[in-house]
Amino acid sequence: MTSTRQTVRRGIIDALPLFIPAIPFAFVLGVTILHAPLSALVGWSSSWVIYGGASQLTLITLLSDGAAVAAAVMAALIVNARHLMYSAALAPAFQQQPAWFRWVGSYFLIDQVFALCVLRKHLPPEEFRAYYLATGLTFWLLWCAATGLAIIIGPTIPSEWGLGFTVPVMFTALVVMGIDRWPKAAAALIAAAVTFLAADLPHRSGLLLGAAAGIVFGLLYEGSRK
Amino acid sequence: MSGLIAIVIAGLGTYTSRALFILALANRRIPHGVSVAMEYVGPSVLAALVVALLTAPGQGGLPGAAELVALLVATLLAWKTRNHLLTLALAMLVFWALGALL
Repeated sequence: MTSTRQTVRRGIIDALPLFIPAIPFAFVLGVTILHAPLSALVGWSSSWVIYGGASQLTLITLLSDGAAVAAAVMAALIVNARHLMYSAALAPAFQQQPAWFRWVGSYFLIDQVFALCVLRKHLPPEEFRAYYLATGLTFWLLWCAATGLAIIIGPTIPSEWGLGFTVPVMFTALVVMGIDRWPKAAAALIAAAVTFLAADLPHRSGLLLGAAAGIVFGLLYEGSRK
Repeated sequence: MSGLIAIVIAGLGTYTSRALFILALANRRIPHGVSVAMEYVGPSVLAALVVALLTAPGQGGLPGAAELVALLVATLLAWKTRNHLLTLALAMLVFWALGALL
């Protein structure tokens, strides 16, 4: 029992520093929700219904932008497609877990939880479960609290500050930090160029066309290397 | 109302992407083509999103110089420092400074 308690404490301590980069993100999301054609409560509910910062920001920005609901949802789900990789990588560790934990644990599988828990997938099942739940619940509580707080203090910020611009800045930072090889930079530039050229398509569907162009370039490039 | 529906559908889809292999396909591998495509999803979608935001209807086509310079600064800072908070803070300072000057 003491060992479980230590594992839980370890999980919480490991999670806290990884939450720091999410704080400006929570703030930007809060500002976006306040400017969106949604009630603050519905906007905040995305923090626990979807529970994924980049996809929440994608969905709510596109909805505020007048995109069709289908296009906005599609874009948010494409942003979240990377979770399939996490799910596949952790599936063997989850095979030794009870059914309730496979259902509940899946909900908490965000980038940071994956990064921490994939390193401990060979722990004994009870310890893995304790560590996973400790990191998962820590991030979840902090994220719901931080986005809620951002929505509450957001209205005190004057609109002349142009804080809406924090959204493209945050996404730019995410693009750049996700690029580890030049073909990914090329894919990002192609996606940007095609989206720009397709800006007049209805319901903001140029975004999906641009994203598809970048992904197709990646597939063609990787295919040509074989 | 449509906002709530969008959030719920996106939530169900997101849960499915997290649970699919853990709950249903534990013995399957992701096909090679799909995992290659997923590598390129992040940079492509997010770059497209930045452009979509800058060319939003009602902002009058091209983004202004303050926006472009600030995003260039953000790109360099994100690349060199990998620090979200610093990138956000300095890019916004550049945006405000240029907005006041131009």
